[in-house]
Amino acid sequence: MKPIITAKDIHRSFGKGHLETHVLKGIDLEVSEGEFLAIMGKSGAGKSTLMYQLSLLDKPTSGSILIDDKNVLSLSEREKTRFRLNTLGYIFQDYALVPDLSAIENVMVPILMRGGSWERAKRTAKESLDSVGLEGKYENLPSELSGGEQQRVAVARAIAGKPKIIFADEPTANLDSVSGERVIDLIASLNKAGQTIVMVTHESEYAQSCHRIIHMEDGAIVKEEKRK
Amino acid sequence: MRSLRIGLLLGLRQIQRAGKFTTLLIIFVMMLTFLNLIAVSGVLIGLIAGAEQAVRQNGLGDLVISPKDAEDHILDTEAVIRYLEAYPEIATYSVRYAGNAVLEANYKERRNLQNERDETAVTVTGIDPYREDTMSDLSQWIVEGEYLDPNEEGYILIGAYYVSQYAELYGDIFETIEEVHPGDTVRMTLGDVSKEFTVKGIIQSKVDDVNLNTYINEKEFRRLFNRIDRNADLIVMKLHHPEQNAQVKESMVQSGLSSYAKIQTFEEGLPKFLTDIKNTFDLLGTFIGSIGIIVASITIFIIIFINALSRRRHIGILKGIGIERRAIEIAYVLQAAFYALAGSLLGALLTYLVLVPHFAANPINFPFSDGILVAPPESTFIKFMILFVITLIAGFLPAWMIARQNTLNSILGRK
Repeated sequence: MKPIITAKDIHRSFGKGHLETHVLKGIDLEVSEGEFLAIMGKSGAGKSTLMYQLSLLDKPTSGSILIDDKNVLSLSEREKTRFRLNTLGYIFQDYALVPDLSAIENVMVPILMRGGSWERAKRTAKESLDSVGLEGKYENLPSELSGGEQQRVAVARAIAGKPKIIFADEPTANLDSVSGERVIDLIASLNKAGQTIVMVTHESEYAQSCHRIIHMEDGAIVKEEKRK
Repeated sequence: MRSLRIGLLLGLRQIQRAGKFTTLLIIFVMMLTFLNLIAVSGVLIGLIAGAEQAVRQNGLGDLVISPKDAEDHILDTEAVIRYLEAYPEIATYSVRYAGNAVLEANYKERRNLQNERDETAVTVTGIDPYREDTMSDLSQWIVEGEYLDPNEEGYILIGAYYVSQYAELYGDIFETIEEVHPGDTVRMTLGDVSKEFTVKGIIQSKVDDVNLNTYINEKEFRRLFNRIDRNADLIVMKLHHPEQNAQVKESMVQSGLSSYAKIQTFEEGLPKFLTDIKNTFDLLGTFIGSIGIIVASITIFIIIFINALSRRRHIGILKGIGIERRAIEIAYVLQAAFYALAGSLLGALLTYLVLVPHFAANPINFPFSDGILVAPPESTFIKFMILFVITLIAGFLPAWMIARQNTLNSILGRK
């Protein structure tokens, strides 16, 4: 399969001088189109930091990242924002919904930002919410939804724009096991439909549906497991 | 355009979902700021506007005819009066003669000639009591005694500032005669000529020129001051349409009346100190209002800053999922605009529906004027626009500060 993400020699350090901490120590990674990749490791291993570099939420200290053949590190902040909007989707650990917006409005916001009309955004948002099993909860505020439902709204938001890659940062961390499994099944079904997914998790049972698991330790990839 | 749409949606929803008490409190603060800006300067200017109104109503009228600069009196006053009599726009007028004299009281009780005389220098105005009353409502300001009768002679009205029992309220500013009441006899002296008058009334008005004046019948004045030419010192008049005084003045000038005297509109004839005080009060009101604007803008800044800071993570996430910074800034500017608009609207309603009518019906009783609230719509609009723009800036700055922070740091709550 064609690689959609190619990261080479990624370093990320924080602080300066004797306080400098190397969190990522020369990561090389390729993610293929349609792949479901899990990044695992203990707390502090650098898995989230790696995901932030790949998803353009942070900038590596050195190295290069190509996404869809584009050198994304050379983009300006504004271009990166636009790139994230049009190419990437995000599912955060704690749902990260805007509390003042209803479920449907949360999903509509990125669609509207892409230039869709109000009606089209509403229709697409409804379809996305329906696809994650939230029919009839369109107008609920996040505070009126359970944790699992909120995370499904976040999934709906991530998929509504049909991004090339979805990044999921510990999407089950704040959910009970039933809700967690439901979200993982949802993500896996997206992948089966051809969606590229990069997921950070520290729970091995949730990584079972992935094509590949990379294990990180102390800022480096120490093991790679191909599952399917 | 996209940013505007998202910004409006985010801002609108933030306003809708915000705590009602907090929203009402902010709107209340904005309303007070608006009132501070409009009402404080409005009352200050209103003091002078009230004084102006009183001078126009009870003093100078709409048009003033006075001696030309090189003359002591209005030339050929009788010809001028004939002209005025025939002029249809003039509702009423009064001819005034003015002079200075010394007024002495309590001289009959002065047993010891070594004692100081109870006297004061006064301005004396000769009037036709009937005409003067139609012109300036002078009779309504009698606080003791009665108004002059056109057919009587030997009577005098004394302004309150010349009489001790009224003037003492103002400290030692005025030279007075002691405890004079209607029915008492006073003696007026100018040069070698003296004449006794019976006090007919004490007069007190909001117009200082009235309080610092004495009034006698014009015929008596002319005899006493030897003004046999009948040339007057001032002719004041009211028009049927006061707002057309400039046009009427122009017409009088065109007809040649200005060769006898100087013709001025009320505005032109207004003492310069009144205009100066008005401008000073306006400046003072604007200064006080400006402090109000600064306080309000800081309040809005803090409110929006706390609001944006408490939503810093959400702002980071919005940026993370590709929402442009501008959309987020617009959302907060919209909130500030809402607070400013709602507060100003309430303030304007309160000003024009309650305060202005209230002060018009119940003027503030100041010694020199009946203070009203002056809030011309144009000036109110300009002040509102200043308040609005400053509020927008105060809303934008904190949003800009928070939205420009590193996206990941915002998401993770890092500094």
